[in-house]
Amino acid sequence: MPNPYLPYEMRIEKITEENPENDLKTFILSFLNEQDIERFKYLPGQFGEVGIMGVGEAPFGIASAPCERGILKFSVKRMGFFTKCLHQAEAGDIVSLRGPLGNSWPLEKLKGKDVVIIGGGFAFTTLRSLVRYIIEPENRSDFGQIDIVYGNREPGQILYKEEFKEWLTREDINLYLSIDREVPGWDKYVGFVPEITEKVINPSVTAIALVCGPPVMIKYTLPVLQNLGFTPDRIYTSLEMKMKCGIGMCGRCNIGSKYVCKDGPVFSMAELEQLPPEY
Amino acid sequence: MMKIIAKERLPEVLQLLAKDYNVLVPAKFEGVSRFTPYSADVELALEENVLMPPKDIFFPQTEKMYKFKAKDKSLEIEELPVEKEEQLIFGIRSCDLKSLECLDQVFLTKGYVDHFYKDKRDRTALIALSCLQPQEACFCGSMGVDPQNGVGADIQAYDLKDKIGFKAISAKGQEILEKISGLLAEEEVTIPTFGEFNLKADIEGVPEKLQGMFDHPLWADICRKCLNCGACTYVCPTCHCFDIDSEVRGEDGVKIRCWDTCMFGEYTQMAGGHNPRPTKKERVRNRFMHKLRYFPERYKMLLCTGCGRCVVKCPVNLDITAIIKKIKEAE
Repeated sequence: MPNPYLPYEMRIEKITEENPENDLKTFILSFLNEQDIERFKYLPGQFGEVGIMGVGEAPFGIASAPCERGILKFSVKRMGFFTKCLHQAEAGDIVSLRGPLGNSWPLEKLKGKDVVIIGGGFAFTTLRSLVRYIIEPENRSDFGQIDIVYGNREPGQILYKEEFKEWLTREDINLYLSIDREVPGWDKYVGFVPEITEKVINPSVTAIALVCGPPVMIKYTLPVLQNLGFTPDRIYTSLEMKMKCGIGMCGRCNIGSKYVCKDGPVFSMAELEQLPPEY
Repeated sequence: MMKIIAKERLPEVLQLLAKDYNVLVPAKFEGVSRFTPYSADVELALEENVLMPPKDIFFPQTEKMYKFKAKDKSLEIEELPVEKEEQLIFGIRSCDLKSLECLDQVFLTKGYVDHFYKDKRDRTALIALSCLQPQEACFCGSMGVDPQNGVGADIQAYDLKDKIGFKAISAKGQEILEKISGLLAEEEVTIPTFGEFNLKADIEGVPEKLQGMFDHPLWADICRKCLNCGACTYVCPTCHCFDIDSEVRGEDGVKIRCWDTCMFGEYTQMAGGHNPRPTKKERVRNRFMHKLRYFPERYKMLLCTGCGRCVVKCPVNLDITAIIKKIKEAE
């Protein structure tokens, strides 16, 4: 069994600035050692500990999908010391990576079902991985109808803008982009994620909802989903917590007896109802 | 019949074992009792358990994980050479043996193996030593631990007052016993009866009851005098939280891990400022919930062995047995 603390060596291939404030960047990483590509087998929803040697490590959801062979994508908001240092990195710099860590979006459970994806702001990372996975031609027929509600404060904050443009033209996904308040030139939805969801989603009885976004968005979206008929075992979310080891040993990311790093980060609402509300 | 040696001749046994092992013995070192490498001039401390638990033998307070060299556009990671020396702990008590069972669960199960811990665990033989008398804060008997018969040792040694008896438990223990058998006599012995515990805790039903007590007002009451100093977690044989950091000098660095404590605010504070356990109420609650509820739920055992160290060392006399009592009595 490999030593779980030893990282892969990765090269930053490309950095994309995602918003006008320039505090949200997407990093495309490649493996320095070719043979690591096969060793790093992951699923949408898992995360990795990205590290800068001498600075630290921090957990980020993997935004790329397994079908995008050889690269990994992470979108990182500048929040604290580590992300500030990561934002100062340039293409060609070498970073470290441990993973893949955690569980994944419930792919087995999603098979054959309609999937309702609800995201807000820069939390669309592992949801992007999932959408990319689902629309891969060899996977697409495993899933039913795909609805995506993606809300942002204003258009400038939308992640992966080019890709969303392309997804808008696809006939096999229903994409509802929204912003909080009207701005000139915006011809998509206006309003908060819960109300847009209520307006546009008309789910089948077996549909599964996956929600990822700021806590306030999640808080107000959950009752909407329940009104739409989603039972707690058909609503999933992905949690964030301070982490170090990523493998359920160092202790800090527990919610009750579960470790977000190892037993999560993806939990169903039915599972969260069994845990203390400490996150 | 048991193999025995007079207590004052114990150093002869340790001396002999030290030929093959790095022998660690309970000793007073700079005023603190802890497991210390044996040499002829160590001051053996056999009357009571050591203050510092043996967890640092397997999970050092600070531990190097790997070396790295980070230059502009290049990174080299180098694993550190693995220590090969066989170790032997003499005099580990039943409560601390139990703590190794807890640590084994954390570091060796659920799909990942902590190599650093496993390596040390695999090359460390254990000679347990029975207790004669409970200390003032001992309550291992309440936590399902038998102070005279440890679980998981290679040899169980018995404190027979003026003598020490040895009973091999594992095959490895048998081997070790053969190495020292030349020094031992064979004798019919009676294991002295164990004294009365001063502290007791009625743990029956507590893990189950705690399930519904997350929002109970008793946590606000219990946490009031806690200073969040973390001393309890430091001396606890089962507390195992750690931080990962690095030490860098120029291009060269070492990744390290070191003990951490759930009593500190930074422990759970995220980069954006959000902290799911912002005040001492949440932190104290998590500590006791972890020991008495979460760990039993996850690993089917308590994360407290009744060693009593936290009771002795808490500067404000927070006593886990009193807290168990409060939980028991809470409505």
